[in-house]
Amino acid sequence: MHTRIEILAHKDDGRAHQIEKTLFSMGIKACVRAVDVYSSASADAQKNSFAQSLANPVTQKVNQTPTDFDWALEIGFLPGVTDNVGHTTSELLKLSAQNDNDDADQECFSSRLYLIKGKAQRSDIEKLSAIISNKLIQRISIKSNDEYTRDGGMDVVIPKVVLEQNDVIADNVNLDIDDAALETLSKYGISNADGSKRGPLGLPLVYLKAIQAYFKKEGREATDIELETLAQTWSEHCKHTIFASPIDDIAKGLYKHYIQRATKEIRAARGEQDICVSVFSDNAGGIIFDDNYLITDKVETHNSPSALDPFGGAITGIVGVNRDCMGFGQGAKPVVNRYGFCLADPRKTPNYFRDAKCTDALLPPSNIMNGVIAGVEAGGNCSGIPTPSGFVYFDDRFAGKPLVFVGTIGLMPREINGKPAHEKCAQPGDKIVVAGGRVGADGIHGATFSSVALDEGSPATAVQIGDPITQKKMSDAIIKEIRDFGWYSAITDNGAGGLSSSVGEMAEGSGGFHLELETVPLKYPGLSPWEIWISESQERMTFSVPPENTDKLIAFFARRGVEATVIGTYTDSGRAKISWHDDVIMDLEMDFLHDGNPETPLTTTFTRGGESEPDLAEPDSYEDTMLTMLGRLNICSKEFIATQYDHNVQGTAVLGPLQGKGRVYGDVSVTRPALDSPKAVVLSQGLFPRYSDIDTAAMAAAGMDMAVRNAVAAGVDFSRLALLDNFCWCSSDEPERLGQLKRAVETIYNIAVKYQTPFISGKDSMFNDFKGYDENGQAIKISAPPTLLVSSIGIMPHTKHSISLAPKAAGDSVYILGETKDELGASEYYDELGHLGSNVPETDAHQNLRLYKLYARASRDCLISSALAVGYGGLGVTLAKKAIAGQFGLDIDLSGFELRSDKMLFSESTGRIVVTVAPKNKKAFEKNFKGFEQCHYIGSVSYSENLFIRDILTLNIKALDEAYKAPLRDY
Amino acid sequence: MSAKVIVLSGYGLNSEEELLHAFEQSGVEGDIIHINDLIEKPDTLNAYNILAIPGGFSYGDDTGSGNAFAQKMKLALWDALKEFVARDTLTIGICNGCQILVNLGLVPALNEYGQRDVAVTYNASARYQCRWIDLAVKSSSPWLKDIKNLHIPVAHGEGRFMMEEDTLSTLKENDQVAARFVTPDGAEANGEFPHNPNGSADDIAAMTDKTGRILAIMPHPERGMFTWQRDDFHELKDAAQRDGVDLTDESDGLKIFKNAAAYFS
Repeated sequence: MHTRIEILAHKDDGRAHQIEKTLFSMGIKACVRAVDVYSSASADAQKNSFAQSLANPVTQKVNQTPTDFDWALEIGFLPGVTDNVGHTTSELLKLSAQNDNDDADQECFSSRLYLIKGKAQRSDIEKLSAIISNKLIQRISIKSNDEYTRDGGMDVVIPKVVLEQNDVIADNVNLDIDDAALETLSKYGISNADGSKRGPLGLPLVYLKAIQAYFKKEGREATDIELETLAQTWSEHCKHTIFASPIDDIAKGLYKHYIQRATKEIRAARGEQDICVSVFSDNAGGIIFDDNYLITDKVETHNSPSALDPFGGAITGIVGVNRDCMGFGQGAKPVVNRYGFCLADPRKTPNYFRDAKCTDALLPPSNIMNGVIAGVEAGGNCSGIPTPSGFVYFDDRFAGKPLVFVGTIGLMPREINGKPAHEKCAQPGDKIVVAGGRVGADGIHGATFSSVALDEGSPATAVQIGDPITQKKMSDAIIKEIRDFGWYSAITDNGAGGLSSSVGEMAEGSGGFHLELETVPLKYPGLSPWEIWISESQERMTFSVPPENTDKLIAFFARRGVEATVIGTYTDSGRAKISWHDDVIMDLEMDFLHDGNPETPLTTTFTRGGESEPDLAEPDSYEDTMLTMLGRLNICSKEFIATQYDHNVQGTAVLGPLQGKGRVYGDVSVTRPALDSPKAVVLSQGLFPRYSDIDTAAMAAAGMDMAVRNAVAAGVDFSRLALLDNFCWCSSDEPERLGQLKRAVETIYNIAVKYQTPFISGKDSMFNDFKGYDENGQAIKISAPPTLLVSSIGIMPHTKHSISLAPKAAGDSVYILGETKDELGASEYYDELGHLGSNVPETDAHQNLRLYKLYARASRDCLISSALAVGYGGLGVTLAKKAIAGQFGLDIDLSGFELRSDKMLFSESTGRIVVTVAPKNKKAFEKNFKGFEQCHYIGSVSYSENLFIRDILTLNIKALDEAYKAPLRDY
Repeated sequence: MSAKVIVLSGYGLNSEEELLHAFEQSGVEGDIIHINDLIEKPDTLNAYNILAIPGGFSYGDDTGSGNAFAQKMKLALWDALKEFVARDTLTIGICNGCQILVNLGLVPALNEYGQRDVAVTYNASARYQCRWIDLAVKSSSPWLKDIKNLHIPVAHGEGRFMMEEDTLSTLKENDQVAARFVTPDGAEANGEFPHNPNGSADDIAAMTDKTGRILAIMPHPERGMFTWQRDDFHELKDAAQRDGVDLTDESDGLKIFKNAAAYFS
């Protein structure tokens, strides 16, 4: 007997009102009621007391669903999709039934029912369901009132996973086939008995030939699990082959030759003053915070999954990078999250399809935007990690694949039990222990799939949904308790590639492993061995535990409601070995597994892009132009995101996402991660994707300078600043794209060495392309512009040095530091006017460094009252944002500059900061910059309510405020 | 017995460290105890006279924020909790802790402990809200002694107090409405966003049981205990520098914890 419990919310429920709003936007006036639905096959669920425990008697009614509606729309999950509410309900059922029956018996499932009263057709309700749900992961049921009455209500659905059991073996795969057959194998995957394919291996032919040769040498056929393992381990996603391969005359590849070398040279030059502790070798990078603590940082991307399921992709991304933090060294405590989204204009509705028949549409940009925002919200907020820092960048070329950046900063003691906390190594004889969630079919082929372009063949099982509470229980147990007991030799997270990556990587320390795959706890029976091995089911950490500690470790986890299991042993056999019951199903040389992929030399070409500079007339009205610029998507306020993200949890926020009385969305955050230390962490970032249309060197340089300059403006100690690089490229199999890449990497090497800011961690995602069809069935390819995100992390010796962007008092002096040049190529201004131009901003690192060092001295001496680095939209937008933030007028005079007014206002030259200085500091401030020719006094903070720029414009703050805040206010 | 606080943790509660820090800053010693350890040994409560349930997302807010955690406590700890609140003790629940106290029926407990009289449910905006707000405090609760206003943040998706009309009247008669959202200049918020961030009935942000010893408060005093945590910190810092004075370290939220210390001294 299946039970269905319906909990009716009160009439004024905010969730129901949101649906009314959506219907209204479709032209339908309706009254909506929300009903939370719980379904279970358990006998215990039939008890009335259980139903009552799910409802609040003051505002909710149990099983008293009204019938005065026109349409009923129910949205639940498809079988196997993570159902967090269902999971909690199952736990409640176990608690109230006071028994410990097996999970499967007590399983509960959640769904939500909307009762809609209003004049609507079935097609309207179908349209509504498409807006508020995702058919890839959710099931939809629509009934008219008649149908509802006829059927006696909605159907009782128990979305249990039932897999056929007959396939649970490891298959041999014949590799003695020709090249064409090998390529087919790579593209569609291994064949099942019924002829269906398991999904792409994504291995290039030269890799497959190496694998073919290896098994010829071994004198046997490969097993499916061996091939899947090699596909994971050698994937672009895990191996970063493009950055590792020889490229043109650079034999060591881009990563070693430029990025790693920059850090090496900087560390050597710094000597005693080196801030790095652990770089590029672990799940995150680590720098010194103070005598007691290290601070770690890692920024990940989760682009491909977010294109398919924006919410699931983003939440999985953020809780995944939290685990990178927990998996650094002996385990760091997540103290700050950061985010960044590159999206298409949410107000547009392009029609792109995965198939030529135009039946499988891409999600519209607004769904993607709302989904990724909600995913990071749910993941970050539920985990109790503040999210004060982030950005959103819009360009319609992100319609096919959005870029979703997620990062986590961690705090850990420099020593634990007298040993350096950042060190770890699996020892031969240690047990392999996995803790956290169980394994299901989620995310199979995630790593290989994110290494190829998104098209019709993209596998739906690549979508996972994070379960932040399961992870939070595990995280607390590890970081707040177990870590300090010293019970494990090493820890790492399960991300892309699942166990195959985590166990495989950790075994490099000991020199081999033997895994007994049948011991891995499963969500449901019927998974094949290879699926268990590469599944990307979330919320799992893998440990290397000396045998004498396993029992107490597992028992302690159990007390915290976390399942932990021994699944094998680390060895020094030199073999990667897996058994399934009594059969050995994988037995590979460790050396071949990790280093057997052949070199694939790359060649590049490069052509500078861009048109000639446009010959434009000056705007008729600078007032109108300024208001238009403020309303541009890349410039306007993203307050609606900032207020949804908890930026105060842990009580550590010093400078948050919204600054000043006027609540301007800032580019930098300041956090005190340790409550007992006045030292703070400064975080920022920079990216200029559109600059790549002219020159990727300019794009990379501007992003890097912005990340550094934002932190400098806020008062960071310039000598304690480190960087992270995230390359999101497109079509990285084309020489021209690789040429753009090489140019960008070379550029950031040069600037890093100049600024002496080391890279400590990085990640790349090389195929951000969508191959599909437009509404006429014509094949199209949409490539994201080559994008480098540089993230900065630095230390501020005391929060008293923190500088916000809002002017503080009328009468203060306004200065612009740095030179404004005729550099509007690929700027927001030119884009507004429909031009690309040619004069993309070039970064003069030498000149900028002079400024930043002088600025650092001024900020340390507390001479600066407010500061804002000039970014998108140039000086004009910067002045307007300052006026809005402080709710003060500004009296500005730019007549001393030679540039034409529109160029002066909207040029995006790098290396500039606008500051305000209190009268009593004016003298000391000017003295500080004596001899620096680019320190320009341009006016004062005024008692009026206007932004006044002499001979150019006069605008009331209220008008600026409205233009800045209106565009995304209703999202 | 001098003041000693037990701060609960586990299953998604997440503000236990800064909450204990707030007590310690006010001179109250204490421990963070995982809920499973407390359930294993309910007598543990006897060693404490302050119970603090911090903010967080227990059970991911699933089935209604605070509901599942409250159900767990009710099934496993109810007798021990009743004994604890019957003694001369103080109890505070902040944000998720507030939602848990309300679902346990410890607040407002108009007739008896254990009965749910009010609900704390989805914000009217159906959106999570993290922002600084202003409170007018009028209560004889020992937690709120000599406090008139508080400038502290909220961070919740479900902070809207809802109840029947006559429940509200009784709460007011009993002096159980402890704090209400107001505008920055102290005027009534009248349900208006963003001053009332969640649409709470009668702008209620906090309430107590009839004794005033149990406080359920949605905003976070522990995130507004130091000046450097404030949203206007940079303005205050700048003004102090101009005036040549030192900025005080302590901010509004700390008073609540100091009151708890004073109650037992």
